[in-house]
Amino acid sequence: MTTATLKAPARPRAKRGALRGGRGLVGVVLVGVVVLAGLLAPLLAPFSSQEQIPGANLLGASGTHLFGTDEVNRDVFSRVLYGIRIDLFICLVAVPAGALLGGLVGLVASQTGPSDVVAQRAFDVVLAFPPIILGIGIAAVTGVGVLPVVCVVIGAEVPLFGRLVRAATLKVRELPYVDAAESMGASRTWVLRKHVLPNILDSLIVQLALSASGAVFISSAMNFIGIGVRPPEPSLGGVLADAMAQLGANTMYAVGPLAVIVVLVLGFQLIAQALVAARRGEAS
Amino acid sequence: MSALLRIENLRVEFPGATAVEDVALDLHENEVLAVVGESGSGKSVTALAVLGLLPSSARAAGSIKLDGRELLGLPEDELRAVRGARIALVFQEPSTALNPVERVGWQIGEVLRAHGVKDKRERRGRVGELLEQVGIPPERARDYPHQFSGGQKQRVVLALALAADPDVLIADEPTTALDVTVQAEILALLRELQRTRRLAVLLITHNMGVVADLADRVAVMRDGRVLETQDVRKLFAAPSTPYTRELLASVPRLGRRERTERQISDGIPAFAVDGLVVDHPGRPAALDKITLQVAPGEVLGLVGESGSGKTTLGRVAVGRLRPSAGSVRLFGTDLTGLGRAELRVLRRRIGVVHQDPAASLDPRRTVLDSITEPLDVHQVGSRAERVARAEELLEQVRLTKEHGSRLPRELSGGQRQRVALARALALEPDFLVADEPTSALDVSVQATVLELFSELQDLHGFACLFISHDLAVVDQIADRVAVLRDGHLIEQGPAAQILTSPSTPYTRALLDSAPIPDPDAQRTRHHLKATA
Amino acid sequence: MTSYVLRRLPSLGVVLFVSSLLIFAVLRLVPGDPATALAGANATPDVVEAIRKELGLDRPWATQYVQWLGGLLTFDTGRSYLIGGTIGALVTDALANTLLLTGSALVLAVIAALVLGTVWAGTRKPWLDNLLTGANTLAVAVPTFVMGVALILVFGIFFPVLPTGGVPRDGLLANPSITFQYLLMPAICLALPVGAVLTRYVAESLRTELAQPYVVTALAAGVSRRRVLVRHALRNILPTSLTVLGLQTGALLGGAVLVEFTFSWPGLGLLIERAVTGRDYPVVQVLLMLSVAVFAVLQLLTDVAHALLDPRVRLGGAR
Repeated sequence: MTTATLKAPARPRAKRGALRGGRGLVGVVLVGVVVLAGLLAPLLAPFSSQEQIPGANLLGASGTHLFGTDEVNRDVFSRVLYGIRIDLFICLVAVPAGALLGGLVGLVASQTGPSDVVAQRAFDVVLAFPPIILGIGIAAVTGVGVLPVVCVVIGAEVPLFGRLVRAATLKVRELPYVDAAESMGASRTWVLRKHVLPNILDSLIVQLALSASGAVFISSAMNFIGIGVRPPEPSLGGVLADAMAQLGANTMYAVGPLAVIVVLVLGFQLIAQALVAARRGEAS
Repeated sequence: MSALLRIENLRVEFPGATAVEDVALDLHENEVLAVVGESGSGKSVTALAVLGLLPSSARAAGSIKLDGRELLGLPEDELRAVRGARIALVFQEPSTALNPVERVGWQIGEVLRAHGVKDKRERRGRVGELLEQVGIPPERARDYPHQFSGGQKQRVVLALALAADPDVLIADEPTTALDVTVQAEILALLRELQRTRRLAVLLITHNMGVVADLADRVAVMRDGRVLETQDVRKLFAAPSTPYTRELLASVPRLGRRERTERQISDGIPAFAVDGLVVDHPGRPAALDKITLQVAPGEVLGLVGESGSGKTTLGRVAVGRLRPSAGSVRLFGTDLTGLGRAELRVLRRRIGVVHQDPAASLDPRRTVLDSITEPLDVHQVGSRAERVARAEELLEQVRLTKEHGSRLPRELSGGQRQRVALARALALEPDFLVADEPTSALDVSVQATVLELFSELQDLHGFACLFISHDLAVVDQIADRVAVLRDGHLIEQGPAAQILTSPSTPYTRALLDSAPIPDPDAQRTRHHLKATA
Repeated sequence: MTSYVLRRLPSLGVVLFVSSLLIFAVLRLVPGDPATALAGANATPDVVEAIRKELGLDRPWATQYVQWLGGLLTFDTGRSYLIGGTIGALVTDALANTLLLTGSALVLAVIAALVLGTVWAGTRKPWLDNLLTGANTLAVAVPTFVMGVALILVFGIFFPVLPTGGVPRDGLLANPSITFQYLLMPAICLALPVGAVLTRYVAESLRTELAQPYVVTALAAGVSRRRVLVRHALRNILPTSLTVLGLQTGALLGGAVLVEFTFSWPGLGLLIERAVTGRDYPVVQVLLMLSVAVFAVLQLLTDVAHALLDPRVRLGGAR
């Protein structure tokens, strides 16, 4: 056990190296800037997210109002900063929850035939609803709010992680060295702990980065079409949707939230790509 | 006589490594030049360099002349006219050498089309003729690759290579992936095509038997250099370099082992099956009514071609596969109806060695951790005792303590297989199942691993089911031999008897098909066959 | 081949059946009384009672489910409480618009994927490879609606050359060139992510394919690189690419909702968005079921096409 932990770091080192340069570094910086901006919103924002400033109706971008003001005299920059928080909250809560749940289901599915059939059909059913449509269905029941967004992200992640873990587990079990371990009397839990988990960790991390990107997309999309966060609470998608009616009056009103969403989604994608590239480089 | 194909000073570099250096080869008209060498010797890279098909990261320098015309550095479209029409290539793996979603006739037609046969009907006629020349009925042009057997596919690949009537054929391990009986047929076809078309053949192979069978001259390569080029008879009779001598000595040959009758105790058999049937619904039985046993301390060689069911039997032996009918006993205990926990207790007494040394060790575990794994699983002794045991085993398989801290990718194939052997022996098993443990290794490495295996067997006295397709390998190891074919047990008996005077025509055919690494003996064989 | 398709039918049946149960449950899971919710805040008790009768809420659940399913199958799906008129008529009107949008996007995406994917896989120029990689990452990552807003800003506000949303006043068929102007931005927007995923798949699987021994066999026999790429390798990846395309239709359906909302394109996506924010449950149910059915049937069709294109599946006997 101790020797294993002492001598294994050849791979993780390569992994971390992936984020120290090139695409990976750009991704980390992009995500990091947005995350910091969201976390430090109370310090950075010049106004509160719902403060109506007298006389500041649909002003263009300026020193006081970096992204201008909106149709009810609120500072768009402050609203965007606070809006980041809700998307990050969904990323941080729903993605790990979905990953954990999906991973467990996938693990159980890979163990016996009948559980596999049930899990596979359940995944089929969930995947038959594209995320946005699933969101509409859930929002129809729960009403609009943060809850349907969290549910949809979890719902979208469960089959993804479930299938990933199931496929990887089955594949690993076919490998000669796992076969050798089982032939020599290793139990299923032994194989899972010592061979399967270390092996699928890489693909799980890549999928987590991709899923974070997907979660930002889903949550901002649901907020955009008005079935997410209830106004006047700010969210990136919500601010963007409000800006749609005022495109001619204040351009930065739309460009601000738009840029933040792009930076966030792109950042996660770049991190995922860098991780995949690092793994490939290692394999060859 | 001037050479048809002349390679001089060839040097191929990949980023960070030189694959081939200072290679010179002359290939004359109507001649078979064999290039032999073990993996990494640069023989395949040389072949690709001749055709200008090296990966874009590779740099080639030197000279490759065909009829005095320099091929290196020729523009792509001029090279394209050479490929297929002057120089053709046949590959090792017939199952992937053909496009799976196109009819074979179309694929051969593509070559004709590329070399200017524009008329569809003319192409169809030529394709039919070509297929007939390689012994495939012309009407099968409409079939897809997956509808052919491995040997038939290699025939189709030959037809494709010869479609544009080349003068030079480069055959890169053309029979390595095939069973011995099929290999014999393809070698016969190659010999006939070479004679009738007066082809110059550059035969790339690691198999000394194939060399003895086909070659006129032989070039021996090692680490990217040509060590010597000789007439085939001279090479086998009097090799001039130590490496060639060692290479020839490593080739397993039938009947070379001096047998000392070993005392086989007649206690409870380590492994016994009675009336064993394994089948999958809708397919012919993988194993049909097999009855055999392995006595304590005995090595049973299980021989058969691909699809014979030998690997299936190996999986039954370690309790990984449940039989459809019949009984399986390990050390006298019937496996039928045994629970998982009870099976685990039995497995403590079993060791397993797989074929593929690259995949049989966890890439993330150090060598030491891999060897202690069985001890960890069964919680034998303290951690310190396990490490001590592993180090002792490392020594037994002629590795050092220092190897223990390495990762599998830092070891060679032979070293990895020795680690796998050490792991299999960690629990001092009474029964070892070894499935083709040496077939992925180079001959010289195979020889040392086999020798080591024999020694360890003497030392530990375990019973063993030794699965192999190579009769000569089995001959070096086994006390008794069982022959499988299509799931049936053809015959079994003492190794000396089965491998010298078998009682069934199938085993006879297996023995006769494997080419002997001796050019004169091979020639006598062909002569006998022709007159018979 | 037939058995290959038949084997997929049970899972299709399970998906449709379970989804229909879930969607049916939507109306029953609404907190409070669905009839009151549908009737609106100011409705009299008589109206609420009438709606309850009409929806059959007074009968047992099983009967209600069978009735609802029967209604779907006979295209008798009831009426919309929010917008008015039968749901059937609403859906038919919107369907034409959505089909035009998604159809154009699909064609764009497939053409782009085949052309760009092949160029990307075949190129030996690093700058082109980098350019395509960058563009692809952007197209995959940027959400549909964000791209939509960006396009509107550039081509509708800064350089007002295209209409910012809606459909031509005289209908889609009156003047094709005007329809084209209205269609251009939403179709590109919808095609981008689907096309980008498909392009990446085509390029990556082509590269894998080019490393296959049969490619070397063909090259070594004198077939040109271009023909090996375009005729041999591309043909080989078509079956699996179709499957990927089938899975991407999900993204296309979801994307249509966002694009229609962004560009006020009066299709099914806009309809379902209005229905859900207006709590018009029967409309939401019909549209959800339609989406699931279309997706499931498209999956089956791509499976059939896959089987037809791959002789190993078509003729059986493959490993």
